[in-house]
Amino acid sequence: MQGASSGIGYGLKYQARCISDVKADTDHTTFLAGTLSLKEENEVHLIRLSSSGTELFCEGLFSHPNEIWDLVSCPFDQRIFSTVYSNGETYGAAIWQIPELYGELNSPQLEKITSLDGHAGKIKCILWWPSGRHDKLISIDEENLYLWSLDASKKTAQIQSQDSAGMPHKISGGAWDPHDVNSVAATFESSLQLWDVRAMGKTISIECSHVRSVDYHPKRKHVLVTAEHESGIHIWDLRKPKVPIQELPGHTHWTWIVKCNPEYDGVILSAGTDSTVNLWLVSLGNDDVSTESQTESPTHWVDPLINTYSDYEDSIYGLTWSSREPWIFASLSYDGRVVVESVKPFISKK
Amino acid sequence: MGSDGDGDAPLLDDKAKRMRDLLSSFYAPNPSMLSHSPTASSKHSTPDDINSSSFDPNHYMNILVNNSNLEGLLKRHVDMAAEIKNLDTDLQMLVYENYNKFISATDTIKRMKSNILGMEGNMEYLLEKIMSVQSRSDSVNTSLFEKREHIEKLHRTCNLLRKVQFIYDLPDRLGKCIKSEAYADAVRFYTGAMPIFKAYGDSSFHDCKRASDEAIAIIVKNLQEKLFSDSEPIQVRAEAALLLKQLDFPVDNLKTKLLERLEHSLRDIQLKPEEIKNASPSAREVAILEFVEAIHAFRVIFPDSETQLVKIAKGLITRDFVITEEYVTTRICAADLLGVLRVIWNESLLMDEVLQDSALSDHFLEGAKAAVKLYVESAFSQLLLDISDCLLKILKRDETEEYSLETALDASTKLALQGGRNLLLDVCKILDDDSGIIDKLREPIIDWVQEGLQDFFRQLEDQFQSFSGKNNSSATQIHGLTEAAAFAGLVLVLAQLSAFIEQTAIPKINEELAVSFSAGPYEYGPAFVPGEISRKFRSAGDKFLQQYINIRTQRISLLQKKRFATPKWVKHKEPREVHMFVDLFLQELKVIVNEVKQVLPQDMRKHRRSNASSASSKSNSFREEKLLHRSNTQRARSQLLETHLAKLFKQKVEIFTKVEHTQESVVMTIVKLSLKSLQEFVRLQTFNRSGFQQIQLDMQFLRTPLREIVEDEAAMDFLLDEVIVAATERCLDPIPLESPILDKLIQAKLAKSLEENTSSS
Repeated sequence: MQGASSGIGYGLKYQARCISDVKADTDHTTFLAGTLSLKEENEVHLIRLSSSGTELFCEGLFSHPNEIWDLVSCPFDQRIFSTVYSNGETYGAAIWQIPELYGELNSPQLEKITSLDGHAGKIKCILWWPSGRHDKLISIDEENLYLWSLDASKKTAQIQSQDSAGMPHKISGGAWDPHDVNSVAATFESSLQLWDVRAMGKTISIECSHVRSVDYHPKRKHVLVTAEHESGIHIWDLRKPKVPIQELPGHTHWTWIVKCNPEYDGVILSAGTDSTVNLWLVSLGNDDVSTESQTESPTHWVDPLINTYSDYEDSIYGLTWSSREPWIFASLSYDGRVVVESVKPFISKK
Repeated sequence: MGSDGDGDAPLLDDKAKRMRDLLSSFYAPNPSMLSHSPTASSKHSTPDDINSSSFDPNHYMNILVNNSNLEGLLKRHVDMAAEIKNLDTDLQMLVYENYNKFISATDTIKRMKSNILGMEGNMEYLLEKIMSVQSRSDSVNTSLFEKREHIEKLHRTCNLLRKVQFIYDLPDRLGKCIKSEAYADAVRFYTGAMPIFKAYGDSSFHDCKRASDEAIAIIVKNLQEKLFSDSEPIQVRAEAALLLKQLDFPVDNLKTKLLERLEHSLRDIQLKPEEIKNASPSAREVAILEFVEAIHAFRVIFPDSETQLVKIAKGLITRDFVITEEYVTTRICAADLLGVLRVIWNESLLMDEVLQDSALSDHFLEGAKAAVKLYVESAFSQLLLDISDCLLKILKRDETEEYSLETALDASTKLALQGGRNLLLDVCKILDDDSGIIDKLREPIIDWVQEGLQDFFRQLEDQFQSFSGKNNSSATQIHGLTEAAAFAGLVLVLAQLSAFIEQTAIPKINEELAVSFSAGPYEYGPAFVPGEISRKFRSAGDKFLQQYINIRTQRISLLQKKRFATPKWVKHKEPREVHMFVDLFLQELKVIVNEVKQVLPQDMRKHRRSNASSASSKSNSFREEKLLHRSNTQRARSQLLETHLAKLFKQKVEIFTKVEHTQESVVMTIVKLSLKSLQEFVRLQTFNRSGFQQIQLDMQFLRTPLREIVEDEAAMDFLLDEVIVAATERCLDPIPLESPILDKLIQAKLAKSLEENTSSS
């Protein structure tokens, strides 16, 4: 598996962990990336892929007060995004807006819409309402879940409901079910826990150890993918939570993040601390929930690993598909290098 | 039919047709019908047809003259003249013949007339004579009739009397016969008298019948005794059986009784395979001989009992084989099996001699086939069981009982190779046996062995997989710590055992196989495919090794996690000593090194190490220098740039290389993974100066003991540096410890651990 000569690179100034696809931007393939530097002034980069698809350029550069541990672009407004940040001791979360005339300003400042105060522990991530324009947000820290109601025009956010994990282990991350907006999954050290947002109560729990990342299958209900530190990638069917429906070997070291492709069924991307991005193709064809009547081909005997992108110098923590051009993904390694790759050559084969 | 007739008509020649026409015209009731008959069709009834009745010569002539030329007419004339002459001759001949016949008839009549005269007189004379003869004979007959009647009556009475006399004498006679043991005569007499007894036994000869019945009862009893006594000669017994049969005695009952006795006697002839080893002619052999004798006798006595005897004999052999099969499953060697088979074979031969059409040898063959097959199968399964037991001991080991991995590995490899070879040798012994017992079994045996080997290795691999699958990733949570450790050991042993089987056992066994079991046509099952099995074990071995590494790194990772999750790193106090976690980490590594050393082979390519170390020292000094420099300058920006630059210039250390089945490779991989995890954990934290210094101190301390363990020092140093770099990056105030303090602390720790070592040992 050769390194990615096809990859388009872009360098952030500092180390970085998070990159997000700007879903609301339907005209361009755009990503937002935030840096992680304890001592320097951190930045948020608005990175755009040129229309020819051969170049990445910086569309906007904004300074951010603290190092960014999580960054998610708002799904319905391309100018809004959320960050989780830390000054080294305390954590905070905020919703930001990119100023309108940022191109003309010299050093544009981000407009803070509101900060999500109330967290005590380490904030892990912020989840936006998975589909369409909605005012609901969820923020997750190590022990609690908060459901927020955001009013962008009034620049306020209010806690609607809250629930604590009540577990000995700490929450490490989460995902909002795109098929059932009442369901949120949170990852623990030893399990995956689902919440019902309406009642803020726990529902299903799946036993699995060291879950680091979770992603719902965008097309199939009940299917979600988890990445675990040591035991690779597991694909689950929530109706059968005892055993995973499929296992993938993952990475040589920790598997850090896993992302399902928004368009192509069974195409999964994972990144890990072994400085590689792996592209998987799994066959989930025998699932009765499948909307398209694809015929089951005996592909599940072939190696599910289609390609390994190994042209990275450091651990990769940030990974996202582009929702506008679903064959493109952006990866962000710790040394601050954004690499955009196209998986077209591997998908068109199928 | 009609079409046939039409077809025939023109074939008839003219003459025959004419004759027929003439005849029909003669017999026809009236000539007018003729015109309608099929023969006189329209073409014949024309006046120009010479054969028709309506022939008109003039008309014919006219036509002829009109139609023919002169030449034709002349020809026709000649033809006709010849025809007329022919007809004339025919007519003359007929007349002449008829005349001849008439003359001869006249002559015959004349002769008959003269002969018939004078015959009447002779006939009358003859009649007279016959009449007189008849009257004479009648008179003689009447005169002698009375006397003849009388004589006949007397004769009948005399016969009757004699019979009566015989019957009255019968009891005495029978008694005499009993005394002289002339049972055959007695039976003959008795059966002779039987009809009379049947008719009059209830009335006139009542006493007599009773007496003779009593005598016969004695005879029957004696005969039965004779029949049942083994000491009597066979002929006598056979005779007795025959006589009993003649006496309408239910011989079949006797037969079944005898058969039962025979079967009963068989029950004592239990095959005791354990005794066969003591080569002395056992009681059983004698018993078998007796049994054969008995069968022989029985066959003579009851010639019609062959099928039953065959059944019994087969039953004996079947039972023998049942016992043999039981015996086979209790770990026997080939010689034992052969011994047993030989015994049964001899037995069947003996019986075969007595029972001609018994097909006992076929029966034996079938039994032997099953037994040998079972033997081969059970041998393999036994071996499988042995290996499994040997491996499972690792899990069951107690704290007290020292069952080291090394022993387990030794034992199991020995079992896998030596056991496999011994098995083959054993089976070879069977093949080499020349007593002719297994002649027909040779090919199947070869196939069984091939199949057995294939199955054996497949099952072994399955077994391994199931062992390793027993506890999966959650092992550390479900089981106690010691058990989890034991499990890791098991997986490691499995890995090495798989590698051993793939690299050593399979080729060796395959060699052996090729020598003694060159495969015939594979009728009985799949052959042994070493390539496939090797592949399987290779992948299994890699998998187990990976699993071992995973288990071990998971445990270390757990340690690290605890280490980094507990303290508040931002508010860390100044480092006073090397943290205890380092001890735990090293201890864990020590366990691993210990396990790995017991199980895995050393890397033969030692020279690699020296190269690596020289490279490492260089890069090491470079890095330390850089580190120092970096800590002095506080500009993180240039720091990062520097790191990148350094990475560019330094050869990229391959952290994640393929694991090999060597001590060094496995230890190195585990160390690398652990250090990498350490780096990742550090990156998730934020440190104050003291926290950073603690990390620095811990890492610095780790350097020396790790260097003793790992093979690739460069990679190890690089990773340790990486951890420190990560800590620097995540530190709010990254001022490293002064090297004298660092040294002091490390020395203190070393002294302390040395002290602990000496005090504990």
